[in-house]
Amino acid sequence: MAHVFALVQAAADSAAAYRDFPVIGSRAAIWIAAEIHLMFAAFVLGVPIFAVVAEAIGIFGKDQRYDRLAKEFTRLLLIAYSATAIWGAVFVFLLSTLYPRFWAYLTAIFGVSMWVYVSIFFFESFTLYLYYYGWDRWKQGRAKIVHWCLGILLNIWGTAVMFIADSWLTYMMTPPRDITPETSPASIKLWHAILNHTWMPINIHRLIGNVVFGGAIVGAYASYRFLAAKTDEERAHYDWMGYVGNFIAISALIVLPFAGYWLGREIYQYDQSMGITMMGGFMSWLWVIQAFLIAVLFLAGNYYLWVGMGRIPGAERFRPYTKWLLVVLVLGALVWGTPHTMIADSRELAAMGGSHHPLLGALGVMSAKNTAVNLMILSTFLSFLLYRRANIRQVVPWAKTGTRIQAAMFVIAAGVVLFFGIRGYFVEAIVRIGYSVYQVGAVLACIVFVTVIDVLMARGAQSLGAIQWGKMPPRSQYALFILAVTFTWLMGLMGFARSGIRQHWHVWQVMQDTTPYAATPALGYAAIMISTCVLIFLSLVGFIFWLGGLAEKSTFVPSTEAPHVGH
Amino acid sequence: MWATNLRIIGIVLGTLALYTLIANKIPQVQSEVPHALTLGANVTPEQLVAAGDQLYHGAGGCTACHGLGTRAPNLLTDEKGLGPIGARCGKREAGKDCKAYLYESLTSPRAYVVSGYEPIMPEMGRILSPQQIWALVAFLESQSGTVDVTASDIPAASGPAASAAPAASGGGGPGIAGGSTEPMTIIRGAGCTGCHKVGTEGGAIGPNLTHVGSRLSAALIRECILKPDTRVAKGYEKFVGVMPKMFGNQLTGAQLEALVQFLSSQK
Ligand code: HEC
Ligand code: HEC
Ligand code: HEM
Repeated sequence: MAHVFALVQAAADSAAAYRDFPVIGSRAAIWIAAEIHLMFAAFVLGVPIFAVVAEAIGIFGKDQRYDRLAKEFTRLLLIAYSATAIWGAVFVFLLSTLYPRFWAYLTAIFGVSMWVYVSIFFFESFTLYLYYYGWDRWKQGRAKIVHWCLGILLNIWGTAVMFIADSWLTYMMTPPRDITPETSPASIKLWHAILNHTWMPINIHRLIGNVVFGGAIVGAYASYRFLAAKTDEERAHYDWMGYVGNFIAISALIVLPFAGYWLGREIYQYDQSMGITMMGGFMSWLWVIQAFLIAVLFLAGNYYLWVGMGRIPGAERFRPYTKWLLVVLVLGALVWGTPHTMIADSRELAAMGGSHHPLLGALGVMSAKNTAVNLMILSTFLSFLLYRRANIRQVVPWAKTGTRIQAAMFVIAAGVVLFFGIRGYFVEAIVRIGYSVYQVGAVLACIVFVTVIDVLMARGAQSLGAIQWGKMPPRSQYALFILAVTFTWLMGLMGFARSGIRQHWHVWQVMQDTTPYAATPALGYAAIMISTCVLIFLSLVGFIFWLGGLAEKSTFVPSTEAPHVGH
Repeated sequence: MWATNLRIIGIVLGTLALYTLIANKIPQVQSEVPHALTLGANVTPEQLVAAGDQLYHGAGGCTACHGLGTRAPNLLTDEKGLGPIGARCGKREAGKDCKAYLYESLTSPRAYVVSGYEPIMPEMGRILSPQQIWALVAFLESQSGTVDVTASDIPAASGPAASAAPAASGGGGPGIAGGSTEPMTIIRGAGCTGCHKVGTEGGAIGPNLTHVGSRLSAALIRECILKPDTRVAKGYEKFVGVMPKMFGNQLTGAQLEALVQFLSSQK
């Protein structure tokens, strides 16, 4: 085996292992191509999930609005799809020409899965064409169900494609333990490489992340259309669409931290030192920024809901509560953003006599962070609940009792979260990690049971007046833009985190990066790269939306069901 | 409509600018590639200074503390009217010339702690090779001083060029923490508190050592320090391999015994 190692490393060291890209350099070129491809990919994976759910609501809820919404989005998908493929091709060409040695290594292991990837992509495109162009053809009865199944198939292809691509990048981060620099890539079994430590956690984290992303972009699209709308009806339609986008984004966002913690735990279990580099080492500041971004997401999402109550008759009753929710959210964000270990300056050190600040130290530990994020999730859920019942008066005889039970569930869940949060300070780390499971369990149980009660309670409820869609101040729409930009940026940041923890390795502790770009840049530089990617991506998306508008002004049809009122 | 478009573009650009700005305001830490430094017997002072410059701004990690203003003294610029480090290094300690002082500052920073600062500077001999240390000394001297480091100061590279892997007590110094046998000094100097809690100090990666004497005998404690993974603490099975295995090479015999005695008395 030694000779193979000598071969691989010698080749990696020789000049032929790499080429450079003019002006911006190889790393920046690959970075931009990969990130923008990833963003488009997330979009074309997230939106079909969205479209299929909307179509189902249209079919089973007999609400035509949702069907039109689904179709409007599928149209945007067509163009976004070719953008994904173009950037994917750019990415592969750059990788194989700039890093030929490394590319050869990856293909030696993953070649077969790459062919499968391409063929699935092919099927996926054709399913998409059928899905879109068959929309008006298969509109009724059984044909409609078949059409809907096409949508499901589209999602199956999409998810499979993502799972395959995830296996390549998770292999780079956490190659199975028995693979060493001496292992010849040709001798590595494909499944063995795919089933690495972080494969499933990343699959799940990304799947959910993509739904949030899809929702956020849909929201931004709707708010743009809302601001540009000329008639009240159009405004009402896009107001409603923005609401649905935001609803989906925030609901999925609530689950994301749980998937994130799972991923983090797997990284720790794979390699302690990698975990420490990630959370406490040169990347510790990254999590402060991540916390800030997530706080912006939660705040913008909640703000949109609160402003939205203005268009709901009867919502005045709940107004006073929003300021308390705001307090909880801001406090939670502050605690979450507090880093655990940070080299303090001399004055701080003198005050605290160690590298753990009394306050930073206490608030920065995992207990406090889990507590904060769980309370933030509970508050966001409460916002939704208030929003949901803003314009109804329950008529079921047990409405009062039901509300009391719901309130009790909130109190119990918050109590459990706080109790274990405080207990966490008095036990060893290993026990404490187990506590987060109880906290998460309490929050999830609360969400599920309260929702069930709420649905039952709303039966036959008396309406205080229809939601006045379209009666929304423009400032609320800007919140949706901030949401979309922030989410895209967060994605770029986390992509940097994922590939940054490999440090100077192409494949962690197996194949070293020997280019001049092997060092992992600081956050400032990374932020400039991320902003550049986000800007390119959003400009292209803006262009796609504009094209979508050119082709067909909008699928908006006035609610009277009159045949097209001219646009 | 144009007003709306402009406002949207403004919001997007503003948000991006805000995030970029925040990320550039926080301390900038780049993760460097460990770099093997080979300096031949005929190395010139200029080469040393250049190598030291690179280390200082890169893999040495010095800029995480120095140059930020408050956390550590300025080295490349004036510090409290005394000038850059090359100008003041000869005047810090009586009887120590610039070269000796700088070498000491790097290998046993706690021997002389600049007033107004806390002893947080890591012992660089544990992270850098002797060649790297001397390159840094030459670079620091070049900051408004005269470089008098020569090839003869540098111990002949033993075996393959020392890499950035923790080298046992750089330059043949007298063990961790300047050879002190005061137990808490060793514990801090060796970085045990990076992972273990001892009394009120330290982290929570490894078992709490505050009452370790009540669970382990002196012999077992010695073994745990010398061969960390032969006996795994309960509840820490997943953490096997985390505790460094080089303490046996770094501690002097007297230090090891002082440490073991101290820990076994913590009941
Ligand atoms: C964790 C923070 C930290 C790091 C990293 C660090 N230092 Fe220091 N350094 C300090 C502090 C604090 C002092 C002042 C207290 C003292 O003398 O120990 C200091 C003092 C010094 C001094 C003496 C300054 C004087 O005015 O006499 C020198 C020289 C020095 N450091 C060089 C370096 C070099 C070279 C590096 C990188 C290889 C480095 N330091 C890395 C914190 C740090
Ligand atoms: C990088 C982290 C790290 C550092 C630094 C470290 N340890 Fe440990 N230590 C651990 C871990 C993790 C364990 C438990 C797993 C094991 O036994 O291997 C442990 C176990 C021990 C134990 C056994 C404790 C028991 O209850 O069984 C002793 C004693 C100990 N370390 C002493 C020390 C001393 C003394 C130092 C400093 C010279 C030190 N350690 C430095 C991580 C560390
Ligand atoms: C509220 C909590 C969180 C949110 C909102 C969040 C959001 C995101 C988003 C949007 C992505 C990009 C997904 C994609 O590319 O499809 C992502 C990826 C990632 N997240 Fe999280 N995350 C959260 C928590 C965490 C935690 C706790 C960890 C780990 C400790 C983590 C680690 C990662 C990593 C490593 C990636 C990179 C995956 C990749 O794109 O290659 N996340 N996260």
